[in-house]
Amino acid sequence: MNLAFFEDIYYENFLPIAYTRPVYEIRCSIGPLYQKISRMFPEAKQVFFTRDYLAPVFSNRVKGSPVNRVEALDDDTLFVNGALLPSKNLKEIITRNMGKNVVVLQQGRVAFAYLRESLCGELGDLFTKPIGDMEIQKIKEKVEVKEVDGLTLLEYPWEIIDYSVELLSEEFSLVSKGESEGYIDDGVKIYGDPKKLYVARDAVIEAGVVIDVRKGPVYVGEESLIQAPSRIDGPAYFGRDNQVFGALIREGCSFGDVCRLGGEIEETIFQGYSNKRHRGFLGHSYVGEWVNLGALTTNSDLKNDYSNVKIYVKQRLMDSGRIKLGCFISDHVKTGIGFIMNTGTVIGVMSNVLSSGEPSPKLIPSFCWYFRGKFSKGLGLSSMIETARIVMSRRGVSLTDEEVQLFHKLYELTREEREKLIRRSKARRRF
Amino acid sequence: MSVEERVKKIISEILGLDESEIKREARFVEDLGVESLDVVEMIAAMEEEFNIEIPEEEAEKNVTVGEAIEYIKKKLGENA
Repeated sequence: MNLAFFEDIYYENFLPIAYTRPVYEIRCSIGPLYQKISRMFPEAKQVFFTRDYLAPVFSNRVKGSPVNRVEALDDDTLFVNGALLPSKNLKEIITRNMGKNVVVLQQGRVAFAYLRESLCGELGDLFTKPIGDMEIQKIKEKVEVKEVDGLTLLEYPWEIIDYSVELLSEEFSLVSKGESEGYIDDGVKIYGDPKKLYVARDAVIEAGVVIDVRKGPVYVGEESLIQAPSRIDGPAYFGRDNQVFGALIREGCSFGDVCRLGGEIEETIFQGYSNKRHRGFLGHSYVGEWVNLGALTTNSDLKNDYSNVKIYVKQRLMDSGRIKLGCFISDHVKTGIGFIMNTGTVIGVMSNVLSSGEPSPKLIPSFCWYFRGKFSKGLGLSSMIETARIVMSRRGVSLTDEEVQLFHKLYELTREEREKLIRRSKARRRF
Repeated sequence: MSVEERVKKIISEILGLDESEIKREARFVEDLGVESLDVVEMIAAMEEEFNIEIPEEEAEKNVTVGEAIEYIKKKLGENA
């Protein structure tokens, strides 16, 4: 059987953080969303469908798995919406509906579909771009349609943070090997059951570190280093080669590989390869890859009047329904020292933002500079790409031609929203 | 005001310098202490003042104030 992940048009709600990856590759708890479903079907061959402009870059990241290749559907195929969250009975729901051609909808969205090989060739093409009403209609004409209760499809990016926190405790057992293989100094104070702390090979926790696993487990990945004085409250997950410098890591954090962490962080996801090396608070937030948050960068995740946080989705301000919500920071964003992010701030890909002494605007488009309270195009895309090249090389990673092409494509896709705000800034200039 | 006067006025306001200090032969980086943020702000201000588009790769070729003035004059000529 093939297991094919696809996106639907709700991916737009996840922009700009999903400009550089399919929604199903966004980290949630111990890994990307899609891995949770993959684990349920370990024998299946994985196939991925995503937006055209992402396919070359994503192919490099999932080497060996076909991306946007309908001809790879050479067997009966289970198509799964990458925004589908795992639940205890999800595998049972899915397998109960396999065997004949069927599409399972959840409030009008395709949650999953099972197509016999004979139909994959005919309908497979529909999955090569994000599924919308038109594609759903075409599928419905060919297969049985079912509505099933008990399925959850992600609709907004902040839901990923919610579920990440929920899943961290549950998924600990998938990565913990029981007895720690790394080094835990005798001077480390553990509150709670020590078995809920797992320190992987070549990882080190220095004397003076406090780890509290009473509310959830803590996983420290290979070659990671936790320096004193740090306090880590579980549940928390640190990927490979994380370095934590005198930090207060409060409950509900998930850090991908190669992050540098300091200050106070709470209920936050780092996709990986990003730095928040210094003091400053970050809470209820998402941070993409290759982000650098300057010293004292801080976000608000709670309004002073305790009202719901409003946040930009598809360039419109909407009520998140959450009292606590921080910021969403896309790949390659850089913040200067002392940058203060308003509650519910969204920062686009590769933007460079500096403190103006006041909380930031709630929306900073991709590929722009924000400083002295104004938006500008900065030194342009070429300069941003060169910076990315330097940043990545410092971690031994090369910027690929496919990534450069993606940035050029995204630069054009985001031009209008960026130039609108730059024009407004120019109109505010006084000479 | 001439193009030269307008350019010098923008530079003086962004850098906080007296206009008399801004000579045509002054180099932005070495003589006026311009750094990247100033460059970005100057480009934006010039674009707004003269209603022109200044590509970053062209802007960085203007090493001196005089070169910037001539560049803008040329752009205005092109636009005319």
